Amino acid sequence: MRWAVPSRSAFPLTVAVLAFAFLGLFLAYPLWKVLASSFLDASGMRFTVEAYAKVLSTGYYRSAITNSLLIGALTTAASIAIGLPMAFLLARMAIPGRSVLLALSALPLILPSFIGAYAWVLLFGRAGIVTQWLQGLGLPTTTIYGLPGLVLVFTLHSFPYVLLPAIAAVRAVDASIEEAGQNLGASRWRVFLTVTVPVIMPAVLAGGLLVFIETLENFGVPFVLAEDMPILAIEAYKLFVGEVGANPGMAGALAMILVLIAALALLVQRYYLGRRRFATVARSAPPVLRPGPLGRWLAGGFVWGVVLLAILPFVAIVIVALMKFRGPVMQSEMSLGNFEQLFARSHRPLYNTLGLATVAAIGASLIGIPIAYVLTRYRSTLSHALDVLAMVPFAVAGTVMGIGLILAFNSGWLVLTGGWLILVLAWLVRKLPFSVRSGSAILHQIDPSLEEASINLGRSPSWTFFRLTVPLMLGGIVGGTVLAWVTIVSELSSTVVLYSGPWSTMTVVMFRALEGQGAGAAAAAATVLIVATVVPLALVYRLLRRNNLAVL
Amino acid sequence: MTAVTISRVERTFGAVHAVAGVSIDIRPGELFTLLGPSGCGKTTLLRMVAGFCDLDQGSIAFGDRRIDTLPPHRRNTGMVFQNYAIFPNLTVAGNVAYGLKARGVAGADIQRRVGRALELVHLDGYGERQPFQLSGGQLQRVALARALVIEPDVLLLDEPLSNLDAQLRLDMRREIRTLQQTLGITAIYVTHDQEEALAISDRIAVMRAGRLEQVGAPAAIYRTPATPFVAEFLGATNLLTGTVEALDGAHLLVAALGRRFRVPAAAVPTGSAVSFSLRPEALIPVEPGHPWATVTGEIAAAEHLGALLRLDVRLGDGPPLRVAMLDDGAVAPAPGRPITLAYDPARITVFAP
Ligand SMILES: Nc1ncnc2c1ncn2[C@@H]1O[C@H](COP(=O)(O)OP(=O)(O)OP(=O)(O)O)[C@@H](O)[C@H]1O
Ligand SMILES: [Mg+2]
Repeated sequence: MRWAVPSRSAFPLTVAVLAFAFLGLFLAYPLWKVLASSFLDASGMRFTVEAYAKVLSTGYYRSAITNSLLIGALTTAASIAIGLPMAFLLARMAIPGRSVLLALSALPLILPSFIGAYAWVLLFGRAGIVTQWLQGLGLPTTTIYGLPGLVLVFTLHSFPYVLLPAIAAVRAVDASIEEAGQNLGASRWRVFLTVTVPVIMPAVLAGGLLVFIETLENFGVPFVLAEDMPILAIEAYKLFVGEVGANPGMAGALAMILVLIAALALLVQRYYLGRRRFATVARSAPPVLRPGPLGRWLAGGFVWGVVLLAILPFVAIVIVALMKFRGPVMQSEMSLGNFEQLFARSHRPLYNTLGLATVAAIGASLIGIPIAYVLTRYRSTLSHALDVLAMVPFAVAGTVMGIGLILAFNSGWLVLTGGWLILVLAWLVRKLPFSVRSGSAILHQIDPSLEEASINLGRSPSWTFFRLTVPLMLGGIVGGTVLAWVTIVSELSSTVVLYSGPWSTMTVVMFRALEGQGAGAAAAAATVLIVATVVPLALVYRLLRRNNLAVL
Repeated sequence: MTAVTISRVERTFGAVHAVAGVSIDIRPGELFTLLGPSGCGKTTLLRMVAGFCDLDQGSIAFGDRRIDTLPPHRRNTGMVFQNYAIFPNLTVAGNVAYGLKARGVAGADIQRRVGRALELVHLDGYGERQPFQLSGGQLQRVALARALVIEPDVLLLDEPLSNLDAQLRLDMRREIRTLQQTLGITAIYVTHDQEEALAISDRIAVMRAGRLEQVGAPAAIYRTPATPFVAEFLGATNLLTGTVEALDGAHLLVAALGRRFRVPAAAVPTGSAVSFSLRPEALIPVEPGHPWATVTGEIAAAEHLGALLRLDVRLGDGPPLRVAMLDDGAVAPAPGRPITLAYDPARITVFAP
């Protein structure tokens, strides 16, 4: 192993140094502050493990840990249980509307999860529309709050993490592998269990771990649905913001526990599963199965059912937003009153959201794409270290990121709290793993010998990157930036910790509306976010399908 | 015309010694081929010259200018890639002009030189085409024009023909050779195809596991391989091992395959083992009693390959002897028939143990 980036040019070295400086300042340093705060006593001078001792000896916080783990595990299991068969059906069976389903199947991931949660409450909550209607008919109702609701909403949000790689894996299983199995005398079912499943399992489990991490870190969904069930990401926020008096030590301890669990899951994902991926390239795709009418109906019903269940609540919320409200009661009349009410006081949050998300998304691409370039084209120990560092934000919950940035930049030589830049930095750092991964995926489709040809003909590596590679990547970069933008617009967990004064966003407005104000305004805010998510996606869908969806 | 001096270069990847101490002096204007089996380090060596692979040890010079410390974009080499590496976002003319623009050549000059380069590779009039409108052979010509137009010190070619079909490969290799000779440019050519190497090169270096096995002109390497590996790699041969029975003037008498062979004398004592290479085409079917050195056996199998006839002839024991000749109908290749084969001992290469 060589220690330096190859001496061939200063370009990769420059990129690596700048990236390390940026991530060191805005990722490692804030995380260090969280870690330090969790190990310091109230005076901030002495080392102590008191915060951890307190957290672990308090039943309430212990159950926050177990609840978070339990919900993560159940959601992961449910996502695999749904995603795996769906992948088979979509990859192997002629289901009616298959291409529409494929296009829709990534959508639940991108639609803001806490809005999904809110939609379920709006429909099936205590004062929910469906609940009231059922009660009016004298029928029994069930509760959507607590564990079942959380697992349901999380699963409907994140099953595509399993589904998308599983479809790719099923498609990559060469027909001849299965035929070889059958030829050796195994039954179709046995071949499926002993050949096909093991081949695709690494991809499925890798997706499952993403589900686990995402569920663990999520702030908005439990905020809407958990009620009095303690959840790690929320308890850390509460302790830090301090409804009953802030306790940064214990908030830090909870945050570090959260990071630790996610980091462990990520390490398993990277180093165990990453290596066990079987490289199979399908030469001949397996035949499309054509079952009888009953089978077709069952399969189609299942797949369509899951996708519609995941998407329809969002449609419902848009419809509700367009209805007229008198006080908290919905009328059977359409109106734009909710939107007027929403924007009556100020348009500022909307403009903040659109403007700051644009800055953050472009920033993430500007920083992420050169990093991706160095990682894919200049392998060395240094670039390997950069690879690991650039993936760290993935294991850091938004709440933790927010806490860290406040601890790091609310005093001293660089003060950022209270402004807009701290929001942009939080979002940018959080989207960096996505930008890097999507950049790498695009680069893998560009033959490196094109760049070598350019350099060989006399253009420097930096000229080659900016003037040859970037134009070749452009479609993918635009798609990736839009995707990052869309997810930033609905980012809640770090925003809710970091926003201040005039710099509130649409998600914050939505978050506040949840705490009272009435369903109409909340639904209107949710609708704005849904539109801001779906419209840009539809515009760049063709670019996305080629380049970025695989790295979600 | 530039001489290329490669001195004791080394490169390891982890535990793999990709290039393990190679020194070559390439003469100005020479087409020099690196030949060897897959993984022997040809590409690595070529990429070291281009600057895409760092050296662990050693140095490389063009003339008396050391270049291995220069970044690749300052080395003035023209590289032709195996997969062409044509920029898909530029026209044919744009591709060819790329290196000239990088060198800051004036616009009018660029146009003139691009036109001439396209003419040189028989693509005049194709300048405004997009790369996806061209066939593989045409793309290869664009790649060649693009590498030549910058008047590089050295032309580097890494298996440039391996993506073309058989007939095109023959035409293109002739064309590359003609261009290289008329322009008088020094070229390093990488291939694992021995026939291609023999046809095109001024000199060949046969590589094996990161080392040079033999360097020499094609005919010399084919006729007098320095090692059994070279003998086998440069085309089918009979690699035989036997025991020295006696010294007879300028020849050794060696017992192998249950027969006695007459091979050129070497410093090998009587009674010891020796191996030697006997090319299939050096064995000629004759009537018994021929004045040359002969062996006798019986035909075990026969193959007609159009103009060629290939026989497997079983001698006493061991594997059959491979024989190849122009099929003029003189030999009836019925299996089981006895046959006498004559050979000139001078065409046998003996390998000292
Ligand atoms: N970037 C690299 N990292 C690790 N090992 C490498 C790298 N490049 C080459 N090698 C190894 O070095 C050895 C020589 O490789 P090289 O590409 O030079 O072979 P080659 O002679 O060109 O083979 P081929 O005919 O297959 O192209 C091989 O064992 C190869 O696996
Ligand atoms: Mg090679």
